[in-house]
Amino acid sequence: MTKIQPPLGGSHRRPDAMAKATGQTRYVGDLALPGMLHAAIAVSDRASARVLNFDVASARRMPGVEAVVTADEIPGDNQVGVIFPDQPLLVTDRVRMVGDRLALVAARTPEEAWDAARAISPAYEDQPGVFDPEKALDETSPTLHGTDNLLHTFQVLRGQTDPDHLDADVIVEAHYEIGGQDHAYLEPQACLAVPEGDRITISASCQCPFYIQQAVARVLAIPLASVRVEQAPTGGAFGGKEDYPSEPAACAAMLAWRTRRPVRLLYSREFDLQVTTKRHAMVVQHRWGADKNGRLVFAEVEAVLDCGAYAGLSTVVAERANVSAIGPYAVPNIMVRTRIAYTNNLFGGAYRGFGAPQVSFAAEATMDTLAHRLGMDPLEFRRINLVTPSDPLTCTDQPLAAPQMAQACLDRAVKDSEEHQIAPRAPDSWRRGRGISLALYGINLHRGGQFLDRSSAVVILQPDASVIVRVGLTEMGQGNLAAVQTVTAAALGIQPDKVQVWQPDTTTVADSGPTVASRGSHSSGRAVLDAIERLRRRLDPIAAELLGCRPEDVELADSCARVSGGGPSVPLIDVTREMAARRIETISTGWYRSKPRVFDEATGMGEPYASYAMACHVVDVAVDPDLGLVRVEHVAAAHDVGRVLHRTAAEGQVEGGVVQAMGWALTEELKLDQGRLLNPSFTDYLIPTSDDAPPVTVALLEDAPGRGPFGSKGLGEPAFIPTAAAIRNAVCAALDVEINRLPLTPPVIVRALAGNHRFKHLME
Amino acid sequence: MPETIIIHLTINGTGRSFRTPPGRRLLDLIRDDAGQTGTKEGCGAGECGACTVLLDGLPIPSCLVLAASCEGHEITTVEGLVHDGSPHAVQEAMVETGGVQCGFCTPGVIMTSVALLENSIDDREEQGRRLAGNLCRCTGYEKIFHALEVAGTTDD
Repeated sequence: MTKIQPPLGGSHRRPDAMAKATGQTRYVGDLALPGMLHAAIAVSDRASARVLNFDVASARRMPGVEAVVTADEIPGDNQVGVIFPDQPLLVTDRVRMVGDRLALVAARTPEEAWDAARAISPAYEDQPGVFDPEKALDETSPTLHGTDNLLHTFQVLRGQTDPDHLDADVIVEAHYEIGGQDHAYLEPQACLAVPEGDRITISASCQCPFYIQQAVARVLAIPLASVRVEQAPTGGAFGGKEDYPSEPAACAAMLAWRTRRPVRLLYSREFDLQVTTKRHAMVVQHRWGADKNGRLVFAEVEAVLDCGAYAGLSTVVAERANVSAIGPYAVPNIMVRTRIAYTNNLFGGAYRGFGAPQVSFAAEATMDTLAHRLGMDPLEFRRINLVTPSDPLTCTDQPLAAPQMAQACLDRAVKDSEEHQIAPRAPDSWRRGRGISLALYGINLHRGGQFLDRSSAVVILQPDASVIVRVGLTEMGQGNLAAVQTVTAAALGIQPDKVQVWQPDTTTVADSGPTVASRGSHSSGRAVLDAIERLRRRLDPIAAELLGCRPEDVELADSCARVSGGGPSVPLIDVTREMAARRIETISTGWYRSKPRVFDEATGMGEPYASYAMACHVVDVAVDPDLGLVRVEHVAAAHDVGRVLHRTAAEGQVEGGVVQAMGWALTEELKLDQGRLLNPSFTDYLIPTSDDAPPVTVALLEDAPGRGPFGSKGLGEPAFIPTAAAIRNAVCAALDVEINRLPLTPPVIVRALAGNHRFKHLME
Repeated sequence: MPETIIIHLTINGTGRSFRTPPGRRLLDLIRDDAGQTGTKEGCGAGECGACTVLLDGLPIPSCLVLAASCEGHEITTVEGLVHDGSPHAVQEAMVETGGVQCGFCTPGVIMTSVALLENSIDDREEQGRRLAGNLCRCTGYEKIFHALEVAGTTDD
């Protein structure tokens, strides 16, 4: 591997930043073509019903309407499920959730398209629905697909797993009800489809152009090679643009195919909130035991994910939740069961953390409750039970390469929290509390999704020693362009501004899977390093000739090729010009795939992930004991990152992850009534503002190298995972109560205070 | 009510006239009629601030303002902050500090920030309150505050 050199770890300007700051970046909504039509979708407003009939003839006659498409006009498969074929693009006889699509409309203006879509209203016969994931698993509940609502069960069984034999000095039983979350990316779903003879180009705001390519090819019944998907600049994603964008893209593609005109589909905010995937709501039942010395003896976890009406990615989300249920603690006896239940609620999808935040919340809450029952300090109780070099196994019996980083992150976050001088923002009458939470994060895709874990890169060295790079993984704000640019510049020893990284396009790179699981910089960076290694097999001999040395002695640094060990050097541009003059191939492809791993799905034992990262957050809160309002005063976040690629981008991931998780913990309540979202607006669904955001002290620990380029580790999701539990633990410490639900809205907090509330007599 | 009306206003220093339906939103006039797509629509309901522009120097959500009500007034968008090819100090600072991630909220955040600095609001608490109408889902706002600090120093 190339040695560490600039600009690694620097804070140079991100390559996409100035175009965004001056309004030059063209998102899908900023693209328009002559003759372009606007798409809209007619959707169900009820969660469970038979569709008796519906008439689209009148919609076809409405002003500006050019086409209305129903299921029988789909040339290929009427199917958009990512993993299971359980979700139609357009329903025919039955709706299973609010937002199920009935028909597609293309019209000359967006207003005309949506007016026509809203005018399509079928005759329904309501059917009983099921909206509680635990009840959905009862035999008597109405079913959504097949004979029952159980989609899948995952387990971790380690040591003694017979509940009758799991005993300890202190046992905590707890029932956690954990709410879902909307991604609330600032740019709603958006795509543009442009037909051209027997092929089609899609520009989409997305995390995985390859998923869209597959969905469009399937729906239109055309070869994959006939579908070009270019990722448009993407205004936030957080998982919400992993699986879901295939659906709007297939809609726009259908209308474009039918009308032979460009078709653009933009969701309004309300529509986006109402119909898109959400973080899974989860119910988690705990029974954990410890001995009187504070050592964990056993952990029993029963988790049920609310899948919603279609499988989507729920099985892979549950797979990660299942093996994340214990956290970075050494527990000899473990029984985890994770079940997925179909309901008529909005369907769950990918969301930053992918099932891990919910189970980590429960684990870290139970850790605090156990500590209190033992009469121990929660910090001390965690120290006793963390994985260590002498006890380095995860709950799946996988040895950690750097178990000491759990303790290191804990120590650092506690120190940063204690040293930070909080300028209190909340009034003195509010109560104060501090909470701790850790996370053990499996980096990249779970073993079950390993077939997707490969990544493609193309590097083209220019005659002027600048470089074009294409990767298959996307920029959605997290900084993948900056990371890839940095890795390329460091590997070639050139300035970052000489490297141009272009957005993925399915015609320029091979299928690289989705940009998820904190794998972006890891997988695309490793593919770029592979491409550069192959390129150097052609570059180094030319440089060696110019330098009068052996090719194996050539090194690249400071925009020069030089003899390693401090010999003579020539500017890199002399080498690239020479390569051009001799017509030497300067394009190179690169590939990365993770190594096969062993994992037993029946017992949950083995290697679900190739490697792990640790994190610890310590949160200070103030709580208004009358109104139940919470202000997060400060967050100290310590992360085991292996190696910083781009410093401000890495810090931005942590700061942004913390605040997004704070929203989930405190204010972001999905108010569902019979499967319909009652608060589909930013007035009623409250994401944190600049006035809510706490100062975040970020520590990026580089002591334990990972497997990403130059030893880096994924960071996007670990940044999110610990925060909510730390906030919960801080609120509970402040009020001396135990609250086992999310979000911690004012009514939840006031109810928890019960007899201790100033106005308790009013709450009888 | 007439089918269309003619609206005269100044966008980014240039006086212009537009023939539009009377109900046209200022946001649509800016994006579709004037072709200045730097201003974004994130909610269409005045909740997110992505469409913030300056109306005679005052930051407003252009999705809630009728274009016709801006007759004779001066509009500045994120494109109009660039003078002779040089970005505004706030744009420079947002790029320098890492305050730009996905970029969709960025134009609105920048317009509000420019107004804050022009009114010499340099207290972080006060800045936080006044920026609360500009939602950002990526940054956690920390680097946006830093950008305000850096740009405030540059201006002096």
